[in-house]
Amino acid sequence: MRSTIPLVLTFVIGLFMVGEYFIPHWRYHQFTQVFLEWGLILAAAAFLLGLFNLVQVNLPKVVNKEEDWGYKLVMLAALVFTLVVGFMGGTDRLSNGQAYKWLFDFVFVPLNATMFALLAFYIASAAFRAFRARNLEATVLLVAAIIVMVARVPLGEDLPLVGEKLPQFMNWIMDVPNIAARRAIFIGAALGAVSTGLRVILGIERSHLGSD
Amino acid sequence: MKLDTLVRFQNMDRRWIFLGMGIAILIPMLFPMTLPFKVDERVQSLYDAVEEIPAGSTVFISADFDPASRPELEPFFRANLHHLLRKDVKFVAATLWPSSPPLVMPIFEELTAEYGKEYGKDWCFLGFKDGKELAIKAIGENIPETFPQDIKGNKIGDLAVTRGYKQAKDFAMIINISAGFPGTREYVLQIQGQYDLSIASATTAVSGPDYIPFYKAGQLNGLSAGMPGSAQYELLVFPDGPPEGVRLLATQSVNVLNVGHAFIIILIVLGNIAFFVTRQAEEVE
Amino acid sequence: MTGIEIFGAWLSIFLTVCVLSFLYDDNPIYKLAEHLFLGVSIGYGVIEIYFGVFKPNLLDKLMNGELGGFQRSLSIIPLILIFMLFSKLVPKYSWLARIPIAFIVAAYAGVKLTGELNANLMTQVAQSIPDLGAVWAEYGFWSWKHDGAGVFSSLFLVLGLSACLLHFYFSAPQNKAMQQVSRFGVLTLMLSFGASFGYTVMGRISLAIGRAQEMLGLDRLPEQVAQIHPRIATVVSAAIVIAFLVVWRRRQGDDYTPGN
Repeated sequence: MRSTIPLVLTFVIGLFMVGEYFIPHWRYHQFTQVFLEWGLILAAAAFLLGLFNLVQVNLPKVVNKEEDWGYKLVMLAALVFTLVVGFMGGTDRLSNGQAYKWLFDFVFVPLNATMFALLAFYIASAAFRAFRARNLEATVLLVAAIIVMVARVPLGEDLPLVGEKLPQFMNWIMDVPNIAARRAIFIGAALGAVSTGLRVILGIERSHLGSD
Repeated sequence: MKLDTLVRFQNMDRRWIFLGMGIAILIPMLFPMTLPFKVDERVQSLYDAVEEIPAGSTVFISADFDPASRPELEPFFRANLHHLLRKDVKFVAATLWPSSPPLVMPIFEELTAEYGKEYGKDWCFLGFKDGKELAIKAIGENIPETFPQDIKGNKIGDLAVTRGYKQAKDFAMIINISAGFPGTREYVLQIQGQYDLSIASATTAVSGPDYIPFYKAGQLNGLSAGMPGSAQYELLVFPDGPPEGVRLLATQSVNVLNVGHAFIIILIVLGNIAFFVTRQAEEVE
Repeated sequence: MTGIEIFGAWLSIFLTVCVLSFLYDDNPIYKLAEHLFLGVSIGYGVIEIYFGVFKPNLLDKLMNGELGGFQRSLSIIPLILIFMLFSKLVPKYSWLARIPIAFIVAAYAGVKLTGELNANLMTQVAQSIPDLGAVWAEYGFWSWKHDGAGVFSSLFLVLGLSACLLHFYFSAPQNKAMQQVSRFGVLTLMLSFGASFGYTVMGRISLAIGRAQEMLGLDRLPEQVAQIHPRIATVVSAAIVIAFLVVWRRRQGDDYTPGN
């Protein structure tokens, strides 16, 4: 019973959503629209589940003053503060002068953007330490990377000796070998997704339902 | 050079490399250079597709980016809005990224005010919707059911700009500013083929190579990748330079990439020289 | 700009420098910024999900008197499914969560299946088969003017794609011919990955440029720069963070080992 209902539901809903592509009738789409809306509500609820889990894990650590409890307190306090100013702002929360908007502009934006900006520095370090022309394959990778890095910036658009040939050759790499490789990956991924989808819908793949 | 010096060079503290990278970014910003650049075919195609939209039509903008991808995509986003607004094209916008609304709403408000456009009549922002592929599928099927209200809490039926636009295929074009998942790939997979949609994409440099096959297969009508793509679009929209009060951030920054890339190439070359000399010396020993 | 906005701009630059301090080493000031970010970003996620999904698509529909009885009662189903999902937090009833999970996994599986089949499989295969006669007539064997378009590139695309696919065909017998084809596939993949690396470098540097623009005040209009003085804010923030790092490093004494 505990497994049968989810399996039957998976089969019915999965098949119904596959049909959405093949049956363009408006009445059929009325049903799929309802399922899609439920789906996006549930996806949002899964995020909330993550929130409760986070509080469940971190709050006891703060209460018991376990290792790094101070940082976790900052995290929980920031979370509560954001929630309070967000709900207080309501549908006006994005207007200038709202605390929620201020928090976004001056706390969220710099932190989010700088976290990712750090990668520029790490990619430089990786380029120095790990990018070695050890064999033919690695050399091809390295040469392609250098061609793209030179030709993609204004400086490389009209270099002496090679002129416009370098950007043209870079475009060839992007349009021919790049597409060949990407399409192979796409086709492989598509076959994988289709077989996984079918396994899920037919109930062969059950890992998402957990164990009994 | 002695072998141990080379080995030490190879294993140097990575913080020196970080410092070098920082300098390679800061120097060209403090002492800017202005080398000209050309527009590639994919960006030109995007511009032409927008150019062909008749005045008075409505497009759907999916602004799926966050502060982290802002330097690459915001310049395109702004230039594209200038392009649409000066052509008198209306738009309905939404996003699949939760951190996008506070970022894009002020830009919508600023630029629409500049062109004297009215909220609800000439444009609207429906806000964020979770559900990723499911949300995209729902945009393909029924926008009023998926977005019963706009970001301000107005009922979608009360907004004149959305009247007659029930599904993605009703719009003249879908413009997707995409920083990753969910974004252009999901739009192409879920609804482009099913409804034969005209989709233009501006994406980050990281996603650029991934989306080129979609462009070449005709699933996208234009593609702008990364900061150079944004700078090229800015050049197309403002060929005679920016009007007063407009800053072309990608054009301003694209030349900084010259030095940054040169620094990385020098690192690769030095790293390889040190590696091969060390290996040869070790083999001789 | 108001005083609180100018203070915000200074705070923004200070937090930027705090995160950049990670480049020296993992340190308390970075950790503080990191946890602040986690808290704020999860809070944002919840607020946007509430106002973007729960309120318009669930709560307002439940309360909306204009909707018919059938439509309103339909909105109760996702509410019940949400309660079932939250039973995951109570071990005794956690099996109930299987029903909403089954629903959502099935919905995703269904839409992914058709999307992948159509856009990634059928279209990509169809678009890879060239009309060599037309290509020859338009571009010849190789045309520099058209970025190398021509018969050579059309054949390279087909052969490269086939070789990559054969390389992924792991269960195929590995005879000599197969190894050669596979090698050509790997080289094609390397050209593509190299190009991706080049693009990734560009993307990452662009993000750092964005931060530098804010710290130098290049992303603002001159009148805003005159009010905020972002470069002074950067120098002051850097001085505070460096002073902190010096003290922190001294306190570590001889036990210090670089962490990152």
